[in-house]
Amino acid sequence: MARLVVRWPARLPVNLMIGALLVALVVGVAALSLIWTPHDHAAMTIRNRFQPADGVYWLGTDQLGRDIVSQLMVAARNSMTVALVAVLIGGSIGVALGLLASALGGWVEDLIMRVADIGFAFPALLFAIMLSAVFGPSLTIAVAAIAFINIPVFARVARASANQVWTRDFVAAARAAGHGRFAISRDHILPNIAAPVIVQGTIEFAVAILAEAALSYLGLGAQPPSPSWGRMLSEAQTLMFMAPHLAIYPGLCIVIAVLGFSLLGDGLRDITDPRLKRRRA
Amino acid sequence: MTAPLLELHGVSRRYRMPREALLRPPAVLTAVNNVSLTLAPGQTLGIVGESGSGKSTLARLVMAFERPDEGTVLFEGTDLNGLSAGALRMARRRFQMVFQDPYGSLDPRRRVGWSIAEPLRATGATDSPARVKQVLDQVGLRAADAEKYPHEFSGGQRQRIAIARAVVTRPALLVADEAVSALDVSVQAQILNLLMDLQEEMGLAMVFISHDLAVVACICDRMLVMKHGDCIEAGETSRLIASPRHEYTRSLLVASGL
Amino acid sequence: MQLDRVSVAFGAAVALREACLQIEPGTRLGIVGESGCGKSMLGLCLMGMIPDAGKVSGSIRLNGKELAGAPEHVWRRHRARDVAMIFQEPMAALNPLKRIGDTVMEPLEVHEGLSRSAARARALALFDEVGIPDPDSRLRQYPHEISGGQRQRVLIALALACNPSLLVADEPTTALDANVALRIIDLLVRLSETRNMALVFISHDLAAVARATQQIAVMYGGDIVERGPTAQVLGAPRHPYTIGLLGARPGLDNRGRGPDGRRKRLVTIPGTVPPLFELPAGCRFSGRCTREIASCALQRPQPLALGAGQVAACHLLGQAHAGAGAS
Ligand SMILES: Nc1ncnc2c1ncn2[C@@H]1O[C@H](COP(=O)(O)OP(=O)(O)OP(=O)(O)O)[C@@H](O)[C@H]1O
Ligand SMILES: Nc1ncnc2c1ncn2[C@@H]1O[C@H](COP(=O)(O)OP(=O)(O)OP(=O)(O)O)[C@@H](O)[C@H]1O
Ligand code: SF4
Ligand SMILES: [Mg+2]
Ligand SMILES: [Mg+2]
Repeated sequence: MARLVVRWPARLPVNLMIGALLVALVVGVAALSLIWTPHDHAAMTIRNRFQPADGVYWLGTDQLGRDIVSQLMVAARNSMTVALVAVLIGGSIGVALGLLASALGGWVEDLIMRVADIGFAFPALLFAIMLSAVFGPSLTIAVAAIAFINIPVFARVARASANQVWTRDFVAAARAAGHGRFAISRDHILPNIAAPVIVQGTIEFAVAILAEAALSYLGLGAQPPSPSWGRMLSEAQTLMFMAPHLAIYPGLCIVIAVLGFSLLGDGLRDITDPRLKRRRA
Repeated sequence: MTAPLLELHGVSRRYRMPREALLRPPAVLTAVNNVSLTLAPGQTLGIVGESGSGKSTLARLVMAFERPDEGTVLFEGTDLNGLSAGALRMARRRFQMVFQDPYGSLDPRRRVGWSIAEPLRATGATDSPARVKQVLDQVGLRAADAEKYPHEFSGGQRQRIAIARAVVTRPALLVADEAVSALDVSVQAQILNLLMDLQEEMGLAMVFISHDLAVVACICDRMLVMKHGDCIEAGETSRLIASPRHEYTRSLLVASGL
Repeated sequence: MQLDRVSVAFGAAVALREACLQIEPGTRLGIVGESGCGKSMLGLCLMGMIPDAGKVSGSIRLNGKELAGAPEHVWRRHRARDVAMIFQEPMAALNPLKRIGDTVMEPLEVHEGLSRSAARARALALFDEVGIPDPDSRLRQYPHEISGGQRQRVLIALALACNPSLLVADEPTTALDANVALRIIDLLVRLSETRNMALVFISHDLAAVARATQQIAVMYGGDIVERGPTAQVLGAPRHPYTIGLLGARPGLDNRGRGPDGRRKRLVTIPGTVPPLFELPAGCRFSGRCTREIASCALQRPQPLALGAGQVAACHLLGQAHAGAGAS
């Protein structure tokens, strides 16, 4: 008869705090780039090629004389936008499918989940390359590809959590009240699987950032002049020995962003998942 | 005599167990086996039996959450399993259920008033705040409680909320599956009294499931003893307690301290 | 084991207030009360396992040795050997991924330094003692493969493994159905008698405690409000809370219908248990008590010996006593 008390943990997990800090940094910089960058990120001044870091160009300039800080900032914004749109689209479709599978059960559930398994097994990059080969490289294709690979992930998480919620008494009570499966999915299941879905969304955000970087590295993402960490990295590759900093900075940005969202997702899971919370007897 | 409110004729329910070996046919568990019963309006029928004897399965059959493999469930003369999905949903306003776990039976993310009005909305009635206030008052809570969330209430209060939700459509039948088993004695007494009050005010019939014979003895007119899915004894509560015919009933009586 | 004025506080919330108890070797003590009244907290005190957030004061003595405030490693020496506990949630207490045999044998090998085969023999003997049929094959099974009653027996066997002189059983029968619960109670009583082991039986079920114990302590809001011989306290309760608790149990006189054709109602205690931090400062029961007097809410009633070992803390009894003394 122990009363179930959900207490906010006295000490937030370390991974959550570090993750939140890094995420705040990246998102803050991306948001700032909307209103201010030190220089025009696309302005090329050949005279200023390979400027070292100084008071004017904080991290120097690249082979075309563009300011690196400004590029990194705008690239952060692009990266966030791509990840956000892709995760939102993939997440919505995935969650909807997961809810549907869970609500209907039987062969529908089996079918959806088996298809999701196949989607899981499909290498994401290969899929994006395939799409680009057909439609030509563009940002939209990159977003679509990343969204698509997110669908099975969310479908799985949503179905697993939804199946648990379906066994709860308040769902039976809603059935006794006369609600159908779809009304119950909307009114009860969805709000009660929000926590694991948000956790998964945060982790998928990190995956999406990485995927975006990889795609633009291959030239399949954002097209010039729109800057992107991945493309900055690939452009810097040929100049590796001449100007290593051109590769280091975007690389560092990718690491910070991916690490930030992964840690935040992990931390959120730690505080929302009761199975992990009950470690101390 | 008045026409029965609820009739079960030879109802059985079987579950297929997971296969133990690939080639062996899966085992079948008969959770409810050939049970018949009738319940008159305003009467209370107690269902007792040890854990796993099929009490909850019987409740789910009465509530038409599951279809029987054999037999029929008649409510006010109509076969519930013969109704279309829409008609069944409309019919649900006449029979409602209260669950065992007061912590699990209310959606933690919904305000209490919302949950109580749910059966009204689901059966197409207008979602009337006045009716919600009225039932809250009936179960001994305040109208202001409609704005709160379930976690702000104690177990006994939550069970009151669950009962309010069950009676909001003015049903003729209430199925209570272990509705007081998770409560402390003093709270249990309050809830039992509340159920008796509601029953007299609204003319409710009840199917009252419990493993505690002492509780069943105090609120049920008739009772039915189950074991391994079979109905092994049924009759007037006072008769069953005074002179149980079956050895198993006797052992239940001893275990409940009667 | 002796508890003297032991309190446990979580910040402003007092989960246990100045509890005094004495447990003689081989006796059986029941602790009853409603959910949240501090029964488990009292049990954890006996094990030295109060959560870190709780502040403990008072004195806890084991065989005359003061253990209140003792560091963890001192307590750990006493756990399992001197005091053992069966925890409230039987499902959570067994590792689902481990065979039952490994769970039971591990402490024997670690604590007692037994060899694998000796540990196995001991485990078999223990299973036999707690009435688990076919112990040989049980050792190889996983927790989910046995019934709730069997699982509880395994936990009892586990607690008995190191021959404790005191066994604390926290709601050992709550999750079980009545027939099985009855057998577990009888088993605990028998074990306590044959092993001369003291038993603390925590439960909210008065009937279970009546059957299992010789002494009883009734708790409300962190206070022990009444204690004494079980038959005495349950037969002639003096504290209003105990009286209310007993009255709320459905019994013979609640059956059937009254002369007006209406069902007879149960006697209830009005209101609900307030949260810990809102408990009244004086008598914890004031505000719900039907016989409350002016001083109740403000002044804490002191435990009063009522003869025959019965002790209760209520102002009414104090008055009656003082009145009787004056006249
Ligand atoms: N969905 C299901 N699938 C398979 N077996 C089931 C299912 N539901 C119930 N059973 C089995 O049917 C039997 C009867 O279960 P039921 O829940 O009706 O018992 P009960 O009398 O309500 O027990 P309790 O007192 O423990 O609630 C049990 O053996 C149970 O394991
Ligand atoms: N770590 C904690 N922090 C704050 N309060 C706590 C903590 N652990 C327990 N409590 C409080 O201490 C009080 C006593 O709890 P305890 O577990 O002893 O109750 P109980 O009598 O065993 O109840 P039950 O019958 O539900 O097991 C409860 O009100 C509980 O909320
Ligand atoms: S002290 Fe007062 S309030 Fe407390 S139980 Fe006695 S009469 Fe009731
Ligand atoms: Mg059941
Ligand atoms: Mg407890």
